Amino acid sequence: MSEAAMELVDVRKTIGKKEIIKGLSFTIQKGEVFGFIGPNGAGKTTTIRMMVGLMKLTDGDVLIQGNSIKSNYKEAVREVGAIVENPEMYPFMTGEQNLAHYARMIPGITKDRIKEVVEIVGLEKAMKEKVGRYSLGMRQRLGIAQALLHKPSILILDEPTNGLDPAGIREIRRYIRKLAEENNVAVIISSHLLSEIELMCDRIGIIKNGELVATQQVHENVATDNLMQVKIEVSPSEKAIEILKTEFKIQAALEGANLLFQLEKEKIPEVINVFVKHDISVYQVSITKASLEDKFFDLIGENTIE
Amino acid sequence: MSNFLKLISNELKKIYVVKSTWIMYIVLAVIIVGTGILNNTVGDIQNSYESDSWRTQLEEENANLTQEMEDETYLETYNSMVIEQNNYYLENDIQPSGYGAWHFIMENKMLLSLVSLLTIIVAAGIIANEFRWGTIKLLLIRPISRTKILISKYVSVLLFALFTLLFVLIFSGITGAILFGIEGMNPYTLLEKNGSLEYVSVIGEIISGYGYQLIILLMMATFAFMISSVFRNSALAIGLAIFLMFVGNQIVFFFAERSWAKYILFANTDLSQYADGNTPFIEGMTLGFSITMLLIYYIVFMLLAWIFFTKRDVAGN
Repeated sequence: MSEAAMELVDVRKTIGKKEIIKGLSFTIQKGEVFGFIGPNGAGKTTTIRMMVGLMKLTDGDVLIQGNSIKSNYKEAVREVGAIVENPEMYPFMTGEQNLAHYARMIPGITKDRIKEVVEIVGLEKAMKEKVGRYSLGMRQRLGIAQALLHKPSILILDEPTNGLDPAGIREIRRYIRKLAEENNVAVIISSHLLSEIELMCDRIGIIKNGELVATQQVHENVATDNLMQVKIEVSPSEKAIEILKTEFKIQAALEGANLLFQLEKEKIPEVINVFVKHDISVYQVSITKASLEDKFFDLIGENTIE
Repeated sequence: MSNFLKLISNELKKIYVVKSTWIMYIVLAVIIVGTGILNNTVGDIQNSYESDSWRTQLEEENANLTQEMEDETYLETYNSMVIEQNNYYLENDIQPSGYGAWHFIMENKMLLSLVSLLTIIVAAGIIANEFRWGTIKLLLIRPISRTKILISKYVSVLLFALFTLLFVLIFSGITGAILFGIEGMNPYTLLEKNGSLEYVSVIGEIISGYGYQLIILLMMATFAFMISSVFRNSALAIGLAIFLMFVGNQIVFFFAERSWAKYILFANTDLSQYADGNTPFIEGMTLGFSITMLLIYYIVFMLLAWIFFTKRDVAGN
């Protein structure tokens, strides 16, 4: 789990005079599903294009299994399977022909392997059909199949659930988790659907205006969720604040008639008990769980494009 | 190496899986059969001459042609040319070979400009279309250098040109053989060269005639390939290449008085200007000079295509 699959070292990209990516550094571990989120124009796709060598880095480096994408391109990119933006395939060829086309570009991909990936993404029935007739969801599946052909150790998927129906999303999600857990594949997923990322990823990186604003463990997030945002309506409130401070060492904020503070769920009855003992009337207690989405908007603020 | 062959097979598959490629071939076939049938019905072509009676046959022909000329004055130029040819045979006591598949192939060398056109279309699309379809991204994120991909695409264009050329040759041969028969293994014919008639081998004429045209084909296809790589736009590449192919000679004539006119690509593409008895476009030009110029243009085209394909970012649309 601790081995790095991909490492970005102070990656910068300047186009013209505008700095699009302003020094991104992060590491993705083997077997980790990393969510890459940010508002439109934040630089997600530019970063992904640099990761796979479609765009040159102005400065910094991307190391894939220790190989630099700049100086050791072939070795680096051999480990990568990717969909960049939309899963675009040759519309005049069948699904089968498309996969065979990409299979021919990397040595060692057998017919059985092609069959295997087709089964994984559930496209057996559409293989003889021209890709031009595919729905977006089918093209998305074919895109994933194409990315998996050479058993990459890093899978980069740009908006992978785009165009899939709920059942398809769940299927792909399950498959991505399986790849990470059983085959130790590092998966990088870019998305703007936070709920999606939350369900699929171990860790997320939030990018805004070409800078990494934060990285966060999703499961850690669940763990700290024991700490609840508690809202309690009491009177007299001043006395309640005083008690919280002395007895529980909690700093509470006053909002109208409500007190706001953070507390573990298990301690809530205890607090109420103490309040009652001190003759404080408790009218209402509510807890709110801060979602990833709130955190996301806290972090990125306004959706502005510089 | 086998890896490279696989890349070429990929590119050729992408060219030949498309219906429009086959339509191109059908159009070529229709034109070949059409001109053949037209030649067979309209032109009064004598297919063969008997070894004992060819003299009388030619004399009869001449008489008919003279008669025709008096009735229909517009036929004068053509008929007098045929008469002149017949007289040459009679004077030099050569039995004419008659018209057949070889002659038909030789006359179809004008179809090479159509082959050039099709090759330009393919060359113009082979890079630009990948950008248009968005497939360039998936194509380039493989453990293969961009240079290798570029070369595989260029070689595929040349192979397409070769296959199409062979198609024209073979299909013309078959059509000619069916319609006119075959006039022998190595027939000779009379062609007008520098104002006088010359008795030449048809196969030799086929090789030199097609050969000179192939140089133009190669240069224009490479030009279209370069534009396709630089601008990533197939319409622009097709348009520019075809436009230049057709007005190239006019450009040279227009600037013929200038001292730099001989450096224009199109002043050098037609190497037949150095063949026996022909005079070059511009005085002082030599075969060596033209070949050097062609090589310089070729290298510049290839270099530009390579630089833009390998060095430029593949950014969003």
